Amino acid sequence: MKKVFVVYATDNVGTVVLEPISVGDRVSCNGERSDLEVIALADIAYGHKIALMDIAEGDTVLKYGLSIGSANCDIKAGEHVHAHNVESNRGRGDLADRAAVAAE
Amino acid sequence: MSEFMGYLRPNGDVGIRNHLLILSGTVYANGVCERVADTIYGAVPIVHANGRCQVAPDLRVTRRYLAGTAMNPNVGAVVIVDHFKEEGMTAEDLADDIAPTGKPIATVNIRGDGGFISAVEKATRYAQDFARQISLCQREAAPMSRILFGTECGTSDTTSGLASNPANGLAGEILIAQGGRMLMAECTEWMGCENWLTEKAASPAVAEAILSGVQHMEARALASGEDIRGSQPTGDNMAGGLSTIEEKSMGAVKKIGDSPIIEYLEIAEAPTKSEPGNYLMYGPGMGAESISSMAAAGCQVLTFCTGGGHTSNHPIMPTIKVTGNRQSFELMRDTVDVDVSGVFTGDITLAEGGQIVYDEVERVCNGYLTKSEALRDNNSFAIHRVGPSI
Repeated sequence: MKKVFVVYATDNVGTVVLEPISVGDRVSCNGERSDLEVIALADIAYGHKIALMDIAEGDTVLKYGLSIGSANCDIKAGEHVHAHNVESNRGRGDLADRAAVAAE
Repeated sequence: MSEFMGYLRPNGDVGIRNHLLILSGTVYANGVCERVADTIYGAVPIVHANGRCQVAPDLRVTRRYLAGTAMNPNVGAVVIVDHFKEEGMTAEDLADDIAPTGKPIATVNIRGDGGFISAVEKATRYAQDFARQISLCQREAAPMSRILFGTECGTSDTTSGLASNPANGLAGEILIAQGGRMLMAECTEWMGCENWLTEKAASPAVAEAILSGVQHMEARALASGEDIRGSQPTGDNMAGGLSTIEEKSMGAVKKIGDSPIIEYLEIAEAPTKSEPGNYLMYGPGMGAESISSMAAAGCQVLTFCTGGGHTSNHPIMPTIKVTGNRQSFELMRDTVDVDVSGVFTGDITLAEGGQIVYDEVERVCNGYLTKSEALRDNNSFAIHRVGPSI
């Protein structure tokens, strides 16, 4: 079974640090969540992240036990998690503008 | 509460090394300093490009670096050389700054002492006396709480944020639990996780200072035409798997653990507090300038976390390289000290990685040479500039 690395017990993503992951691989975790196992839904390269559980749109993506952004769509366990489905919550002038428009 | 065997200084500081420093007050005294250090057993030259034609705020920072390096507990005695009369920072000015430590200090002026050859002779005689004098210092037991533990990261890669940095943060927590202090600089890397840092600030003033430090560095970058925030994470970061600025920054600042942040320091400034915990310092990401500012602040030991491997080594502050990249460890086996890549294969836990890093720090505090110390590759003294040469 292929392994990803989980840096903190409450994380909902793991990072590929050994061999790359291919669609259909059974994946388990080294690090803090040795209990978890998922089936990969995408090819995932070294250094990239895999969802360890379903993450609903708007939910916080957790690595280091901390927010690294929010899901901008529903993410299924086993999917690749990257800039296409997670958005930063910092330095977001566009969000501030939208909030201002909504308040008017 | 564990102890280490260190060198007790007249002012109560405890060093982990017993260096004789040959300190250049200006670029034009570098040659004399190097010649003296070549002659005298154990002498370490501190040479640099500064000391002349600097604007006042910049010269103040240079002076803090030079005096602070000499005040570091790892230094037993100092010979300072300058070439004529440096505006605002003569050898005597530096000696005045260093004097409260009570360590032996001598000054030599190249013009005043009759030129290069006479200055080399005079400085060499001082250095010989000091080398023998400090050789009488014996290591004695001191609590680990006396350690100010600096930390840095450089040539980072995917493994850094996941292995070497968080293991290092846990090592810091082990020291802090014994009453010690950990110091982190590189405020450029705090962008994106200011909240995580300010939540740990011991007071609102410390939190405010952390935020203003980040803003100040960002404003300097913008003034140079660089938009560092708008371009983060960079294209190669994204290709490497980093999705957001938060993710990138968390990987960097996880070099410290969850303990409170006691004090915020200006660059190369020594802490005024002694409470156990984390200390943050304003400064650039440039490794040599950053670790030199931490040595000037009084750090006796430093861990340098690296992904690609690194050669960085400060002349008087043992610099322990830690990596989570096994390939880098193999390639750079003669300069990288600690390999924690076992966390990825499940051979060790992160907590065990933290203990491995801490144990190496404690050994080095007791006198164990780092790989770069054994090589005498003292490449990483550099001074951060905050103004132009005029």
